[in-house]
Amino acid sequence: MSALSPSMRVERHPGPAAAAGCAALDSPRMTQPSTGDLLARAAAGSESAWSQLIDRHGQLVWSVVRGYRLDAASTADVTQTVWLRLVEHCGRIRDPERLPGWLARTAHNEALRVIRHQRRVHVGELEDSLADESGPLDERLLADERHDAVLRALADLPEACQELLRLLATDPPLDYATISDLLGRPIGSIGPTRQRCLAKLRSSVERYDNQARGRSR
Amino acid sequence: MTSDDHDEALTDRLRAALAAADPVPPTILAAANAAFTWRTIDAELAELVSDSALAHEVGVRSTGTTRRITFRAGGIEVDILIADEREMRLMGQLVPSGAARVELQTPHQVRETTTDDLGRFSFADLPAGSVRLLVERPGRTSVATDWILV
Repeated sequence: MSALSPSMRVERHPGPAAAAGCAALDSPRMTQPSTGDLLARAAAGSESAWSQLIDRHGQLVWSVVRGYRLDAASTADVTQTVWLRLVEHCGRIRDPERLPGWLARTAHNEALRVIRHQRRVHVGELEDSLADESGPLDERLLADERHDAVLRALADLPEACQELLRLLATDPPLDYATISDLLGRPIGSIGPTRQRCLAKLRSSVERYDNQARGRSR
Repeated sequence: MTSDDHDEALTDRLRAALAAADPVPPTILAAANAAFTWRTIDAELAELVSDSALAHEVGVRSTGTTRRITFRAGGIEVDILIADEREMRLMGQLVPSGAARVELQTPHQVRETTTDDLGRFSFADLPAGSVRLLVERPGRTSVATDWILV
């Protein structure tokens, strides 16, 4: 299967270039525009505001979608569907603080639909997703020992802890209500589970940090 | 430092490591930026009201590989069935029925058809990916559905 899904082909729409041209208009302002401001301006047609919304929330959407370990094409399609939905909804999100939750829930629903659909129709594609995960990630891990230590420590944790900590470590962060919805666990359990998982992560990280210090001596 | 500060610091370290290990690919960011060109300017948005394929729809079961979706705007419902057999095929109906031009939009192409006497329309050989419909009725505001992933 091609790594380039249909959604990745963008030759018809030179969006980023056009957005970069508009961004210059914003540069004299010293303060960062609020997310609410960006949503309102994007709804009114500002491509530079749209581009800034992606700068701020692109990693969040990507991290949430990647958490479902879909194959490359489905990962791209789910991500793109989230952004296309936001294009139509950016004028309707009344409380800008809810934007991260809205993006995460939309990504979650679409990813689950893809998973159900794939299990029924294309079971074989799961292997693609495993292949995608392995190689390049390992190489990048070695690039930075501090990152390496915390990611190795994360990998040592039970699956449920990994899932929770990944959602707690998005940028921007998600609130407990959204995380509770995504994981299907009671909101009251998120805080205590977070503490337990972080405690496990900490002891494991310390071990890897000590090993790294030992090697550098 | 309190234990909360320690937890925050560890979470921040994890956040930085996860972002560095798996940054958003440039192709994904470019596509996200390009999504803006599909902004609906002079059509009313028909929102998804039900989708047999969404996980939280209790009691609605998709039959085989047919997915049923309903969109609703002010005075119109757009009901569609997506059959995934040899090829994906979309069959739709406007309620109330009426003459309309219907566009199938994907991020890479636009196709069009017209409704029959009963407000029905169809598109064969649906491409996988994000799609939506734009419905244009004479003398009425156009209606664009939410994007769905097929």
